[in-house]
Amino acid sequence: MSALLSRMSRRHAREAPPTAALGIVLIAMGVVAPSFFSAGNLRDLALNNVAVMIVALGMTLVVLTGEIDISVGSQFAVCSVAAGMLAKAGVPIMLVPVFVLALGVLMGALNGLLIGMLGLPSIIVTLAMMVAWRDTLRWTTDGAWIQDLPANFQWFGMSPEAAQLMIMAVGVALATSGAWALRHLALGRRVYAVGADAEAARLAGIDPRMVKFGVFATTGMLVSIGAMLNAVRFSTVPSNAGIGFELQAVAAVVVGGTAITGGRGTILGTVIGVALLGAIGTALTYVGIGPFWVKAIQGLIILAALGGDALFTRLARRAHLPARAVVAH
Amino acid sequence: MQLSLTEARLPLRVRLFPNKEWVLLIVIVAEVVVYGITGTNFATLGNAFEITRLSVEIGLLALALTPVIVSGGIDLSIGSMMGLSAVAFGYFWRDAGLPIPVAIVFTLMIGMAGGALNAVFITRFKFPPLIVTLGTLSLYRGIAEGVTGGVQHYSGFPAGFLHLGQGYIGGHVPTQLVVLALVALWSAWSLHRTGAGRALYAIGHSAEGARYAGIPVARRLATVYVLSGAAASLAALVYVAHLGQAKSDAGTGYELMAITAVVLGGASIFGGRGTILGTLLGLFSIVLLQNGLRLTGQPAELSGILVGVLLIGTILVDVFTQHAATRAAPSPTATEQPDVRNSQVAVLSAVILLGALIVAASNWVLVNSLRHDLRGGPSMTAASPGATATHRTLIAMMPKAKGDPYFISAHKGADSAAAALGVDLLWDGPTDLDAAKQNEVVEAWITRGVNAIAVSVENREAISTVLRKARERGIKVVTWDADAEANARDFFVNQATPEGIGNTLTDEAARIMGGSGELAIITASLSAANQNEWITFIKLRLAAKYPRITLVAIQPSDGDRDRAFAETQTVLKVHPKVKVVMAIAAPAVPGAAEAVKQSGRKDVKVTGLSLPNMCRPYIKSGEIESIVLWNTMDLGALTVRVAQALASGELGAGASTLDAGRMGSFQVVGSEVRLGLPFIFNRTNIDRFNF
Amino acid sequence: MNIAEEPVVLRVTNVTKSYAGVTALANASFDLRAGEVHALVGENGAGKSTLIKILTAAVEYDGGEIALNGAALPRLTPRQARTLGIAAIYQQPALFDQLTVAENIALGTENAGPLSRINWRQRRERAVELLARVGAHIDPDSDVCDLGMAQQQLVEIARALGANARILILDEPTASLSKDDADNLLRVVRELRADGVAMIYISHRLEELFHIANRVTVLRDGCTIATLDMCDVSRNQLIRLMVGRELTSVFPKRVVPLGAPVLELQHVGCRASGVSDVSFSVRAGEIVGLSGLVGAGRTELARIIFGLTPADEGQIAVNGAKVRILSPTSAIAHGIAYVPEDRRRHGVVLQMSVTENISLAALRELARNGSLDVNREHDIAVEYSRRLGVRTASLRSLVATLSGGNQQKVALGRWLVTKPKLLVLDEPTQGIDVGAKSEIHSLMMDLAEQGMAILMISSELPEILGMSDRIVVMHDGTVADVLDRSEATQERLLARALQRETREFTSFFAAANER
Repeated sequence: MSALLSRMSRRHAREAPPTAALGIVLIAMGVVAPSFFSAGNLRDLALNNVAVMIVALGMTLVVLTGEIDISVGSQFAVCSVAAGMLAKAGVPIMLVPVFVLALGVLMGALNGLLIGMLGLPSIIVTLAMMVAWRDTLRWTTDGAWIQDLPANFQWFGMSPEAAQLMIMAVGVALATSGAWALRHLALGRRVYAVGADAEAARLAGIDPRMVKFGVFATTGMLVSIGAMLNAVRFSTVPSNAGIGFELQAVAAVVVGGTAITGGRGTILGTVIGVALLGAIGTALTYVGIGPFWVKAIQGLIILAALGGDALFTRLARRAHLPARAVVAH
Repeated sequence: MQLSLTEARLPLRVRLFPNKEWVLLIVIVAEVVVYGITGTNFATLGNAFEITRLSVEIGLLALALTPVIVSGGIDLSIGSMMGLSAVAFGYFWRDAGLPIPVAIVFTLMIGMAGGALNAVFITRFKFPPLIVTLGTLSLYRGIAEGVTGGVQHYSGFPAGFLHLGQGYIGGHVPTQLVVLALVALWSAWSLHRTGAGRALYAIGHSAEGARYAGIPVARRLATVYVLSGAAASLAALVYVAHLGQAKSDAGTGYELMAITAVVLGGASIFGGRGTILGTLLGLFSIVLLQNGLRLTGQPAELSGILVGVLLIGTILVDVFTQHAATRAAPSPTATEQPDVRNSQVAVLSAVILLGALIVAASNWVLVNSLRHDLRGGPSMTAASPGATATHRTLIAMMPKAKGDPYFISAHKGADSAAAALGVDLLWDGPTDLDAAKQNEVVEAWITRGVNAIAVSVENREAISTVLRKARERGIKVVTWDADAEANARDFFVNQATPEGIGNTLTDEAARIMGGSGELAIITASLSAANQNEWITFIKLRLAAKYPRITLVAIQPSDGDRDRAFAETQTVLKVHPKVKVVMAIAAPAVPGAAEAVKQSGRKDVKVTGLSLPNMCRPYIKSGEIESIVLWNTMDLGALTVRVAQALASGELGAGASTLDAGRMGSFQVVGSEVRLGLPFIFNRTNIDRFNF
Repeated sequence: MNIAEEPVVLRVTNVTKSYAGVTALANASFDLRAGEVHALVGENGAGKSTLIKILTAAVEYDGGEIALNGAALPRLTPRQARTLGIAAIYQQPALFDQLTVAENIALGTENAGPLSRINWRQRRERAVELLARVGAHIDPDSDVCDLGMAQQQLVEIARALGANARILILDEPTASLSKDDADNLLRVVRELRADGVAMIYISHRLEELFHIANRVTVLRDGCTIATLDMCDVSRNQLIRLMVGRELTSVFPKRVVPLGAPVLELQHVGCRASGVSDVSFSVRAGEIVGLSGLVGAGRTELARIIFGLTPADEGQIAVNGAKVRILSPTSAIAHGIAYVPEDRRRHGVVLQMSVTENISLAALRELARNGSLDVNREHDIAVEYSRRLGVRTASLRSLVATLSGGNQQKVALGRWLVTKPKLLVLDEPTQGIDVGAKSEIHSLMMDLAEQGMAILMISSELPEILGMSDRIVVMHDGTVADVLDRSEATQERLLARALQRETREFTSFFAAANER
C-alpha cells in the first residue's frame, strides 16, 4: 500500500506545485469571498474555460512529444467561423459538428504532415500557419461576424441547461478519456516514448513520424471540438475568436507541470493549469483588485511554476540518490 | 585523402550566405521587380527610405534576437519589454522630471534588468528559454499595464527627441535608419568577428561541448539576453519617438514578427546557425512584401499568407538540402557537391515557382475583382464607360481596425458613395488597433500618390506628423471618426465628440436606471485610447449630474465578445445590485447582453455603443434597452464625399454647408463637417436600420 | 556442445550497401548458429555498424541476401525485425530516460496494437522477472535517468529477452563499463548462450572475445576477410587480419627525463561528485595513468581539476603555486587542458568545422583589437591538423563527417593550441580503431618528451600499463594506491581497484561472477 502511495506520489510529483497554488487561491477565496463558490459562478467558470481546456488537452499531447503548436488560436477561429457559415448555409445543425471536426482534423493534419512527415521544426511551421490562417480568415470574412444564424444554432436547439450540461460533460469526458488513454493505452505510451527519445522510440518499433502526425491531427480535432462547443453558446459567431489562445494553452500546459522538452506531464496537470490561470482573473474581480494586474500575476504564476518544478526536481533527486548507488552491487 | 591544407578561402557566396540566404535575395529581387511594375511609385528612392524607417523597431528586435536564436534560445518577452520600456521612459521624463538623455539611459537599464531576469532564470536555474520568456512576456506587459492602469500615456516629448523617430539626416535618410545601421554593423561584427560571437555558435550547437572547451557558457548566454532586453528598450525609444507617444501597448505582437524575420533569414531555431545579414534580408523581404501589397492595392491580408508560405518554403529548401548533404556524407571521402546542387536547385525552383504563382494568382484575383467592380458598379457603366481609371480621383480611407464591425459598416457606406460619385476608393488599415501600422499605411499612400487621405485616427500625436507630410505633398487630408491635430488635416468629419458620446451614454444609462443605483462598464482593452477618453467624460458627467449612481466596475473585453460575456457574468455576480451594464466596444454589447440573457436576470439592462445589426435580437428580446450610435454607413459615405469635394476643390476653407446628395445637406463649422448628434437605437426604431 | 552442429539461424550472403555512392559494405558474409557468440571485429569504418543497422532494419541494404532460419528475409521495418527476434544493444543504451524501467522493458516487448490496453501490474511483474534473469536488482518503478550506464544496459538486455530475442547483437557493450560491471555482463552473455540465444558480439577489447566468443568474423573495408574458430586464432593474428599488417609495438613507450611537478593535489575533494582526499602529483614529462573502475571517481577528479565541478576541500597547486580552479576558464588560464571521455558530446562540436573546433579553446588568444583574426585561425588549424595527421576532406568539413579517431585528434588539437602544461586525457582511445590508437599513443609520447605533464584516465589496463610512468589507482572516490611502472601488473591494478587481495584473481575475467 505504501509502495503504491509512493509510486503515485512519484508519478504525480510534477502536478504538486500548481495544485498547491490552486489550493491557495481557492482557500483565499473561501476566506475573502465565499460567494466565489456559488454554483452559478463555478458553472460559468467551467463553461468559459472549457474551450481553452479542450485546446490545452491537444497542446499537452503536442508538448509531450516535444513539439509545440502555436496555430491553435487561428485554427479555433477558422473552425468557429466555419461552424457559423455551415449552419447559415442550411446544413442541419447535427451535421455541422461533423464538417467542423473534419476541417479541424485537416488543419491539424497539415501541421502534422509538415512537422511529422517532413521533419520541419514545429514552432516555425505553426507560426507560419498561425499568421496564414488568421489572415485567410480576415481576407474571406473581411472581419464580418456570422449573424442571423438559424435559431437552433445556439445550444444545438436544446434547452440552455441541457446544452450546458452537455458541453461540460463533453469537456470532462475528453479530459478523462484523454488522461486514461495516455496512461492505459499503448497509443498514449507511444506519445511519451516519442517525446522522451524519438530515436529510441524508432528503435523500439514506434514510428515517431506517425505519432507526431497523429498528435497534431488530434490537436486539430480537439481545437474544432472546443470551437464548436464555444460557438453554440452564442447566437452569432465573431470572426476574431481565439486570439491569444495559443499562449493561454501553452501556459496552462506548462503551469500544469508538463516538460516543454517532452516526455513528461499529464492531462491532470493541464486541467489544473487551466483551472488556475482561468480562475485567477475572476478571483481578482471578486477580491476587488482591478483587472490591470491580471497579466502580471499570470506571468508570475508561470515563473513560479517553473521555480516550484525546479525545486521539486532537486528535492526528488536528492531523495533518489542513495537508491541509485544501491542497485548495482 | 590528405587534405590540401593551403586551400583557398571560400567563395564569396558561401561566406556571405552560409545558410542559403541568397534565396531571400532572389525573393527580394522578385518582389522589387513585381511590385516595381505593378505598384505605383514602389521603386523610388523615397519609398526605399520610408520602408526602412518602418522596419527599424522590428529590425532592432530581430537583430538582438539573432544571437539569442544562434545560441539555441529564444526571447518572447521583447515585445512586452518594449511596452514596459516605453512606459518607463515616459515616467522618467515626465513624472520624474529627468532630462531626456538621462531618461534614455535609465530606460535602457530597465531593458537590461528585464533581460537579466530572463538570464537568471535561463542560466542559473536552467529553465527552457521558451517558457521563461513566455512568463516574462506576460509579466512585463502586465507591469506596464498595471502601473499605468492601462489608461495613462505620455506625450508631448521635445522635438529634439522626436527627431529620432520622425526626422531626416541629410534631408533623405530617416534618423532611426542610422540607429538600425549602427546596431546592425555592431551586431554583425560581434557575432561574426569576435570570439564571444563564435562561442555563441558553439553553445547553440552543443552547450555542453562549449563548456568543455572552456567557454563561459552562462556568462555568454546572460549577455545575449541582457542585450536583447536593451535592444527592446532601444526599439521602444525609437517607437516612442516615431509615434510621439508612450503607452503600455507598444510593441504588442512584435516578438513574432521579429522571430519570423530571423528564421526567414536562415537561422535555425535549434541554434548554431544564423547570420545578421540573413536576418536583415529576412526582415526586408517581409517589409517589402507588405509595402508592395499596399502600393499595388492588394489586400494586406495576403502578406500573412505569403509570409507563411515563404517561411515554410525556406525551411523546406533548407531541410531538403540538409538531407541531401547528410545522405551524401557518411564518410569524409564523399564528394557530394553535384548531387546536392541538383536537388537544391530543384526544390528552390519549386518554391520560387510557388511564390510566383501565388503572386500571379493574387494579381489575377485582384484585377478580376477590380474589373468586376468597374463593370458592375451601376453608376459607372451608365456614366462613363470609356473613362480610364487613371483620370479618376483616388481616395484612400483608413479605419482604426479593419475587422471591427463598426468600420465594416462604414466601409459599406463609403463604397456606395464612391460608386455614386465616380471616384476610386482604397480601403486599408491595421487589422487590429495599431497606431504604428496606421502611420505605415499613410506613408505607403503618400508614396503611392493618392488624391485624398481619410483617416480614423487611433493616436493623435502619432499620426499628425505623417499627415502633415501628406499635406505638404499636396494630398488632401480628412480625418473621420476621431480627429488628429487641427493643422494636420483639412477637415474633420465629426460624428460626435468624446464629450458628446460620454454624455449621451451617461444620460441614457441614468434614464434606464432611474437616476440611481450601480453601474458597470465593459470597455475594450485597458489601454484603448478612445474608450478611456469616453470613460473620463462618463465619470465627469456622473459626478456632475447623477451623484446617486455609482460606477462599481470597469472590466476589459479586449474587443472579444466571449471575454465581454465572461466579464459581465462575473460582474453580475460580484456586484448583484448592478442595474445597468454599459458596454462601450461594439463586440462587447452583444457579449454583455448574452450574459444577462443567460443569467435570467430581467432587472439588469445593457446599453452602450454598438451596431444595430449586432444587437438587434437582444434589443427585441429586451436585454438591451438601447444602444447609442450614429449612422455609420452615412459616416463612411459623408467622409468620401468630403474627400472628393476637397480633391475637386469644391470644398474649401470658409464653407458653411456641404451638399451630399441623397443624404442631404450637412453643416460645416470651421474645419469640421458635422454628421449630427448621436442617435439612440431602441426597440421602436431598430428595424429602420441595416448596418 | 559443438557449435558446428547447431542450426544456422542467420545467414548473411554478399550483402552490399552504399551511402550516396560511398561504399560502406562491399561484400559481407557470415553465418550465425543457435547458441553461439559470434564476434565481429574490424577497424572503425570496416562496416560493422552498417551491418548491424542492416540486421536491425534501421537501414536498407542494396544487394545480397539475408536469410533467417533458412528463409530469405524481405525488406523489414525495425519493428518487424524485432518481432522476428532480432535485437541490438548499443554502447550507449537506447532507452527512454524519462520513463520508468518497467515501461522501457514493456515498450520493447509488448507487441500490441495502438488501441490495446496496458496492464501496469503485469508490466511490473514482467519487468521484475526479466531483470532477475539478467541478474539485476533494479526497482522497476525507478526512472531510467536515475540509473547508471551498466544498469541501463542490463535493462536493455532484459527488454530484448522480453521480446523473445533469439538473435542478440551486442555493440561494444562493455566499452564504458567498469571491470565489475563488464564481468557481470559477460556472465549474462554466457547464460543466454546456454539458453540457445545466438549473439553477435562486437568489441574492441579483444581479450574479452577470447573468453566468450565461439567464432570470429573479421571485416575489413566492408568485406568479410575470414571467419575463424576463436580457439584457432591468437590476438596478434586477429589484429593482423583487421589491419592487414603486423603491429610491431603497440605502445611506443620511451623514457623521458622528468621535470618539476606541474600539478600537485593535496587532500582534494568535492562532496557533490563524491571525490575525497585525493593526493598525488604529476611532473613535467611524466605520464600518470589514472586507473580504477567506472564510478571510482576518475572522471569526476578530472572534472575537478578542469574546474567543471570545483573542489570544495584540499589544495591544488600548479607549477608550485597554490591555485583555486573555479571554472574551465581559470583552468585554461593555469595551463590545464582536458580532453573529455564523451568525445561526440563534449570533446568536439560535431556541427562545426575542423577549423572552428581547433580554435574554439583559444578564441581569446586569436583576438586582435577585439576581432577574431581569421587568417591566423586558419593557419593554426592547418598547423595542428597537419601535426596530428587529421584525415579530412577539408578543414571546412564538419567534424561530424570525420571518423572517431580523427574526431579525437581534433579534440586533442584544440587543446594543444592552448599550449597547456598539463594535459588530462579521459579515455583517449576508447572506441577508436587500432591505427588511430597507436598514432595517439605516439603523440602522447612526443608531448611528454617536450615536457608536458599528462594525466591519462583509461579503463584499458594494457594501455595504462603500456603508457604510464606511474599509475594512480582510484577506488570509491579516493586514491587506493600509487604504483610505479616497474611494479604494476594487471592483477595488482585490479586488486587495488577492487580493494581485494591479489590472490583472488586467478584470471582476468573469470572471477567476478559471485557477488
